[in-house]
Amino acid sequence: MSAESIVPGRAARAREFRRILAEMLKIDRVRGGLVVAADGLVIAASLPRGIAVEPLAALAATLGRELEVGADRLKRTPFHAALFSADNGTVFLGSSPVGFVVVLGDREVNVGLVQWALRKALATLEGAWGTASHVPATPEDM
Amino acid sequence: MGFLRLLSRIWDAITSLTRPPNAATLFRRADLYRQEGRFEEAAELVAQGLRLAPSNGVGHLLSAYLHLAFRQIGPAKSELQFVLQADPYHPRALLGLAKIALEERDLAACRPFLDKALQYYPDFPEARALQEMVAGWATTVAAPGQSPAYTGPPLQVERLKPPAGGREFVLAQTDGTLVFSQQGDKDAEDLAAHVTQVYRIASATLQRAGLGALRRGIVQAATETSFFRSNDRLILALSFPQDIKIGFGLLETDKLWTNSLRELGVRP
Repeated sequence: MSAESIVPGRAARAREFRRILAEMLKIDRVRGGLVVAADGLVIAASLPRGIAVEPLAALAATLGRELEVGADRLKRTPFHAALFSADNGTVFLGSSPVGFVVVLGDREVNVGLVQWALRKALATLEGAWGTASHVPATPEDM
Repeated sequence: MGFLRLLSRIWDAITSLTRPPNAATLFRRADLYRQEGRFEEAAELVAQGLRLAPSNGVGHLLSAYLHLAFRQIGPAKSELQFVLQADPYHPRALLGLAKIALEERDLAACRPFLDKALQYYPDFPEARALQEMVAGWATTVAAPGQSPAYTGPPLQVERLKPPAGGREFVLAQTDGTLVFSQQGDKDAEDLAAHVTQVYRIASATLQRAGLGALRRGIVQAATETSFFRSNDRLILALSFPQDIKIGFGLLETDKLWTNSLRELGVRP
């Protein structure tokens, strides 16, 4: 049995990552985003001019791994999404088997809408990986 | 002669289609799959390649990357060490080991890997970003039982008024010193160490994205949602059951933050 026949749709994963990122970037006040593997490899990225991809990806993957490893150390359940806000905007981070989805929003970004869109994106990624999770129908249901 | 050369080229092209790929070809294809997030197929090709060329450094490096992508830290570490045996200054292998040391909260091991990676490759952006991040860390997050002692005013839980539904309330200084916790000593130190590490890495990520200093955070897991509040000196973390409304959690965290600052005599 070939690897391709074990889990359908693997060949379409790269396309799916780019599509997910493009969907996130359509949200008002979202400035950029990237999909980064747990080892720091950038799989897809679209960032504003002036923000270098590799350093941000390295830090985001490190943050994602600390959230995963820390939860494990504290015997908590694994994190699936996080956000960190500063005076000028917010970094959203979602965990998936392929790695982490990172979204950058400015200070006016609709946090609830991005969280919901991120949950949808993560469910899609999990589906591409062979496991799917439930997503609320609207941001208000979260 | 031209005709013979043409025949030879055609013959090479035909046989290359039927000949099994060599290790270099397998690794090249594995790397392409890896870049598309097709880690399982990449791992199969790397395993095939390493059977053909067991000492190939590229193969072992790819194997390490894939183990990291699958969150298999032990095997990744072994593969990176294998690469370094052949090339002690391999920047990617050094970066990989630095990242693993960071995960293990072993800052003393992490820093030399980054320094060495940048010694010959000063324009290595990922290593530079991590080096700049850890450079600002005064000390490593302390091991259990070795945390620096808090010397400020003692805090009374009844004056802080943590919310009834909240749990795992912890207040720490940004250097990892535990200021207050609702939990026992050992659990409190572990929690403070994690909260401090999240604060440090999240702060570096926000700064790198040009967004400023960390003020708030929310971490959602299957069974709980944790809220963070911080300034340049203090970090507060508080967890609620997973079904908490985000607005309520933010409000309660803000109240607890205000009470904590007041009790510590810190201006908001």
